[in-house]
Amino acid sequence: MLDYWERRAKLLRRKPDQNAETAELGEEVRLASLVEESIVDGPGLRFVLFTQGCPHRCPGCHNPHTHLLAGGRLYSLEWILSLYDKQLACQGITFSGGEPFLQGGPLAKIAQAVHERGGDVITYTGYRLERLQELAKEDDGISALLAETDLLIDGPFIQERRSLETPFVGSSNQRLLALSIKGEQALEQIDQFNEFR
Amino acid sequence: MKMFTTIVESPKQIVKRDGTLVPFDYFKIRQAIAKANANVPSETLSDEELDRLTAEVVSHLDVNSNPGVEDIQDIVELTLMENGSSQTAKVYILYRAERAKVRKQKNALMETFKRLSFTEASATDMKRENANIDGNTAMGMMLKYGSEASKSFIDHYVLPEDMAKAHAQGDIHIHDKDFYLLTETCCQIDLQSLFRGGFSTGHGFLREPQSIESYAALACIALQANQNEMHGGQSIPNFENVMAEGVQKTCRKHLRDLLEESQLFGDNGLGEEELERLLTFDYEDLVASLAKRGNEATERREHALLELVQKRVQRSTYQAMQSFIHNLNTMHSRAGAQVPFTSINYGTGTSHAARLVMRELLRATEDGLGNGETPIFPVQIFKVKDGINSKAGDPNYDLFKQAIHVSARRLFPNFSFLDAPFNLQYYRADDDNTEVAYMGCRTRVMGNIYDPNREVTKGRGNLSFTSINLPRLGIEARGSIDTFFSLLDKRMDLVFRQLRHRFEIQKRKLVLNYPFLMGQGIWLDSNTLERNEEIERVLRHGTLSIGFIGLAETLVALTGKHHGESEASQELGLQIVSHMRKRCDERAREEELNYTLLATPAEGLSGRFVKLDQERYGVMENITNHEYYTNSFHIPVYYKVSAYEKIALEAPYHTLTNAGHITYIELDGDPSMNLSVFEDLILYMKDAGIGYGSINHPLDRDPKCGYTGVIGTSCPQCGRKESKQEPFERIRRITGYLVGTLERFNDAKRAEVGERVKHA
Repeated sequence: MLDYWERRAKLLRRKPDQNAETAELGEEVRLASLVEESIVDGPGLRFVLFTQGCPHRCPGCHNPHTHLLAGGRLYSLEWILSLYDKQLACQGITFSGGEPFLQGGPLAKIAQAVHERGGDVITYTGYRLERLQELAKEDDGISALLAETDLLIDGPFIQERRSLETPFVGSSNQRLLALSIKGEQALEQIDQFNEFR
Repeated sequence: MKMFTTIVESPKQIVKRDGTLVPFDYFKIRQAIAKANANVPSETLSDEELDRLTAEVVSHLDVNSNPGVEDIQDIVELTLMENGSSQTAKVYILYRAERAKVRKQKNALMETFKRLSFTEASATDMKRENANIDGNTAMGMMLKYGSEASKSFIDHYVLPEDMAKAHAQGDIHIHDKDFYLLTETCCQIDLQSLFRGGFSTGHGFLREPQSIESYAALACIALQANQNEMHGGQSIPNFENVMAEGVQKTCRKHLRDLLEESQLFGDNGLGEEELERLLTFDYEDLVASLAKRGNEATERREHALLELVQKRVQRSTYQAMQSFIHNLNTMHSRAGAQVPFTSINYGTGTSHAARLVMRELLRATEDGLGNGETPIFPVQIFKVKDGINSKAGDPNYDLFKQAIHVSARRLFPNFSFLDAPFNLQYYRADDDNTEVAYMGCRTRVMGNIYDPNREVTKGRGNLSFTSINLPRLGIEARGSIDTFFSLLDKRMDLVFRQLRHRFEIQKRKLVLNYPFLMGQGIWLDSNTLERNEEIERVLRHGTLSIGFIGLAETLVALTGKHHGESEASQELGLQIVSHMRKRCDERAREEELNYTLLATPAEGLSGRFVKLDQERYGVMENITNHEYYTNSFHIPVYYKVSAYEKIALEAPYHTLTNAGHITYIELDGDPSMNLSVFEDLILYMKDAGIGYGSINHPLDRDPKCGYTGVIGTSCPQCGRKESKQEPFERIRRITGYLVGTLERFNDAKRAEVGERVKHA
């Protein structure tokens, strides 16, 4: 289990990183909004991007304003990372939305940069993992973001199965899936207080 | 005195202001003129001239009627002016005006009573559902009458004029002024020595408690009895260790009962020797014995029996903790007008019994009151200590985690940090009297210049405190730092004198004025005093504190930026507060009295100062334009700053404010699903050198379906919309205490809650 001290040590090791690779990210991503410190979008304190555009349009969606593909605003990856670098206490980044996999390419680049800085990556999606794996065969962006995601929270929001008990999911059909060691650590982090729940 | 030379006819009687008739007295008029003239060296009147003037005044009076006091005074004024004594007339007029003002202030008390009586009553009619608000009850109103009358008496007859004036115009605020002549603020109660051999509340004697249930019940009674003798809060500094003694007694009792029962229903298979041995067991032996497991038939039987005892002890302890919390939220003090302000500190006890107490207390807190409501009292403070509970592998780390879990759901416990250097310097392992304990509101008492051998927690508290309106000094300095410091020094001198003035009154009280606090030996060393003895010698263990409010606004006034916005301002802020601390330390050494510096909890005060300053200086951006001044050294609530930055910026002030301090973090959202963030923040507070802190988050509850968490306009669980008839309950924290609904906040505090920016 990754306890506070290890996490803290990691945070302290993470320094604003101005390497060349980051500077070359000449791309942009379309966001509905951005939250610098959130406690409700995954374990630990998180930097959150709410992407714009969503094909699922689940009834009862918490963020219906993110559905339109043309809404929101374009942000450069450099600018997002420069904000992220100021949040030294954030454990990692969360991609929410919207449907993040519509913009897998640029988000994967951000995810990679976050990984280089020692953070972890959580991605919400309205697709099931199995469907994403299929789509990934045709779509480099999807496959790149899947490869950079540590913890995937998948599945559409189903109003009839709305749940308030499980951390970080909206309905009970949604799953928390660890795709890497870091993802498993994030799950353990959620579970460590289960004995009291 | 020479006889007067001119004799004129005078009225027989005059009418006093209250309408009564008294004999006319020539000398009174002469004396008034003489008094006024005594202050005017340039116009000195001889005795003859005084007589002549007095006679002239009298000659203007109608001898056949009874003139009023005011009529006579009007004539005195005119006579003086007509006779070329214009300066004397001026002094006379000023004196008259001054007296008129004082009289008016005395009448103001009756006006206050009127306002209290009639506005409150109509408010009650308007919203009957809130009729249980204290101020609207008979006893609550009686308390207010008493309080207002006392304040008026203190202002006009007790306080030296400069101090009364400084308070009235908002230079300083003398807290609990209505109790000026009566008592002290607060106390950390040592229940262990109180319980030993039993005690008396002044109304009846109670035997030494013999079970965890009685320990919990008597703890409430002790808190209540002491609350009725002091004007501040009451606290238990080592709750788990006190209650652990009750657990041991309950364990022996359950063990004895069960052995008896099992024998009654047949042979329990235990030999004489085993029985003898088991009957000596306390809870520690029981847990140790349960950890081993033998395979013999008797060992298995013994094991089963002990398990049953443990279950019963656990159940008794839960019941005891549950009723403790219920009692403290329902019992009354002060003529039934309020619930006692109570706090408990715990976290470091590592005996099995102490750990059981904490586990069950936290469970009972989480379960809430009868309908699942969040308990408002006691304020719970979990002491975090390295090596005991802050890290995996520490004996009480599980309890720390449970405390985090409960705090995320119920806002309590708060957390105090024994490893902060200013707390650690007193700490010795295995002596809970060396662990700094806080009062819920933040008061801290530990150092002791009067008796350096008694730098302990138990039996001590604050005697009184007075706060300085720091922003006003910032405004009046007009940008000059030097001017600011010289104004600050003058203001501090005034407060030092005022605290001492109050102490001089307090110290003359006798033990018999405090039948519980002193009569039962609660206050440190009070058991060495006789019933009729003055209490000065033991009172000196307490603290006299200077508080401050609005460092942020002060810095804006001085530099244009507060300490969250600019490093230079932070430096200046630290310089100001360090200076204040240095002056307190110096004064403490000089007078051998514990003068300490307090980060004032600002209830009531936050709005009063700013209102007065708005009237004086107008609305100034980020100084007087909010409805409140920022709490002590806090970063303004409206300013967006990350949780970690806020902790880092406020931590150094904790070191300086030895009379107490607290740092809050506001979380946006329900943290109960993300407890690792909560833990990170608490441990970061510890690392940063915070002494006492807590995390605020929205805590709403739907009384219909019982859902507790964050509720917007409709309940996430049952989906119903909020209505006027059935509103959601919204609990928030004010000056360390939880308040049930926003309605009971004063206006300024309500505005402050509205402007709070979430830090994460």
